[in-house]
Amino acid sequence: MNGFEQALTTGIEGGTIILYPALGELIGERAGVVNLGMEGCMLAGALSAFAVGAITGSAWLGVLAGIGGGAVVGLAHAWLVVKRHADQLASGLVLWFLALGLTSVLGANYVSQTVTPLPVINVTGLSAIPWIGPIFFEHDSLVYISYFLVPLIGWALYRTRIGLVLRATGERPEVVSVAGRRPELVQMGAVVLGAALAGIGGAQLSVGYVDNWFDDMTNGYGFIAVAVVLFAAWRPWLVMIGAYLFGVALAAAGVLQAHGIEVNQYVLDALPYFVTLVALVALGRSGGSRAPEGLTKALTNSS
Amino acid sequence: MNVLSTKTQDEPKLLAPEELTNPTWSSRLTEVVTAAISTRGLRRLGVALGVYVVCLGLFALLVLSQKANPFGVFNSIFQSALFSNGSIPEVILRAVPIVLAALAVSVPARAGLVNVGGEGQLIMGAVAATGVGVYLGNSVPGFIGWICMGVAGFGAGAVWGGLAGLLRVLVNANEAVTTLLLNFIANDTMLYLLYQPWKDPTGGGQPESRPLSSHEVLPRLFGSSINLGVIIAMVAALVVWYLLKRSGWGFALRVVGGNQQAASRAGLPVNRLRISSMAVGGGLAGLGGMLYLAGTQLQLLPGGTATYGYIAFLAAFLGRHDPFKVVLAGLLFAAIAVSAPGLQLSYGLDGNVVDALLAFIVVAPLVLSSRRKGAF
Repeated sequence: MNGFEQALTTGIEGGTIILYPALGELIGERAGVVNLGMEGCMLAGALSAFAVGAITGSAWLGVLAGIGGGAVVGLAHAWLVVKRHADQLASGLVLWFLALGLTSVLGANYVSQTVTPLPVINVTGLSAIPWIGPIFFEHDSLVYISYFLVPLIGWALYRTRIGLVLRATGERPEVVSVAGRRPELVQMGAVVLGAALAGIGGAQLSVGYVDNWFDDMTNGYGFIAVAVVLFAAWRPWLVMIGAYLFGVALAAAGVLQAHGIEVNQYVLDALPYFVTLVALVALGRSGGSRAPEGLTKALTNSS
Repeated sequence: MNVLSTKTQDEPKLLAPEELTNPTWSSRLTEVVTAAISTRGLRRLGVALGVYVVCLGLFALLVLSQKANPFGVFNSIFQSALFSNGSIPEVILRAVPIVLAALAVSVPARAGLVNVGGEGQLIMGAVAATGVGVYLGNSVPGFIGWICMGVAGFGAGAVWGGLAGLLRVLVNANEAVTTLLLNFIANDTMLYLLYQPWKDPTGGGQPESRPLSSHEVLPRLFGSSINLGVIIAMVAALVVWYLLKRSGWGFALRVVGGNQQAASRAGLPVNRLRISSMAVGGGLAGLGGMLYLAGTQLQLLPGGTATYGYIAFLAAFLGRHDPFKVVLAGLLFAAIAVSAPGLQLSYGLDGNVVDALLAFIVVAPLVLSSRRKGAF
């Protein structure tokens, strides 16, 4: 395996950790709620997954617990923002700090423990394809599930009634209300579902990728997820590409250095953010951003 | 009632029948309204107290779950914030970057803009100050070095914040989003510099810049660990208070924040005001980064800002963007941050436990500050 191939493989694996919360953020933002607390949801997911995985010995039970951990933080955000009309940005940041504090304290006992990680499965046949095989088909199952999740979410958003209601809630909640649906419920559901996905991302990190727990282990992945949604202009397929772009950028320097090519890690790290910024500017120039209207309102009125 | 009756007895002939009944009616109404207001006020106060008690109770439970005594922990936080040796100066020093970055949120908030970029603006301020400070070294007298570093820090923060304002005005890119992205670019810029070009060759391979030369370090005052930076930060906070509350610029910002269309119809330069509010805000945070660097850290370190920019956003929220309250909130959060090592030492709690306390303090107003609209 050459350096380039290895960078891409690691990029997909690390990108999946970003992809799950980014899909979650996409769903929430499409319903008009931004969640800056994705980092907190991921931490809760990562610790729950690791703790349950370590105690029961089953990584899959861990993943389920991760979903629950993320969802609990998401429920708190949904309640504050939707039911109490709290400032979305402040609420997200507060829940990040809360989750950071709680997981650091509660997870202290798990720091040196071990867990049986999610097994890496080589997909029969597909993994034998040169190039593509090792890059895409030699991972743990959460990576494969994410391959199906992206088209599923795209289909649900654009082709189903619930997706229509969700998108309408993000644009004009009052219209949804007049149509006899309850936008508050839709938003709460979207935020909790999104946070649960972030919990899976956390699980992929703690029981799939590094097989370890230490405090603040998400190290900004949750914020990258928020950036990926901006990069993707709220499109599921572009979210996938964006997540892999960030994943490859994060992985590339280490891999390239191991192959004797000197690059500064942090120049590569900054690159996707820079691309996102340029994309925002380009979108803005081409006749206004495509942000859901309710989201723009929430971000402007929040102070 | 007595007053009314004496009044009617004193001037019986001047009162028309409706005037006789009216005072009683209106006084009853006043009575009822006052009673309603006070019960509602009392209820609100009660609810607020209740929420805070629940929040602190949850924190106490968290502490208990680690077999530590919550009263001891609260006591330890008070001790390290107020009573132990040298604690107050330490809190004040820590509050310098937090307060200035919080004011960096409050100034644009007047113009209706959301600055989530305090972190990046702090970092850029510290980076620029390091660049200038290390470059100047011993070549100029101390006070010129301080001025140059301060201008560089303020300028770098202003550019970082103003850029987001510019993008908002030119291409309508949401500033909450762009400032967030700029935070990460700032952090990566700092790390790039620290890991390669600016790495201290004598630092034992650690990613840290060369330390500032000793006479560039802000001098300590009154024989305490308080340094000149604290005075500068206080002056900056006063200037912000004056600008926002008393100056024409502050008034214009409020008009823009209130109703942008009305502001532009009234002939206010809306775009320029918005950009300037972001630039001034960013500059304040940049100055905070410079003061923290030249007063406390003395060399650029990775993770030196320790999420102060985000804590500052919450401080500005807690202080409702009122300069005076924002300063108090910043001091409170600085005190909480300072108490972390003590809790780690005495109770074996992870230092991040203070983040949970900070969150519980801000959750309370989030729960309470509901702008209740009509039921959906």
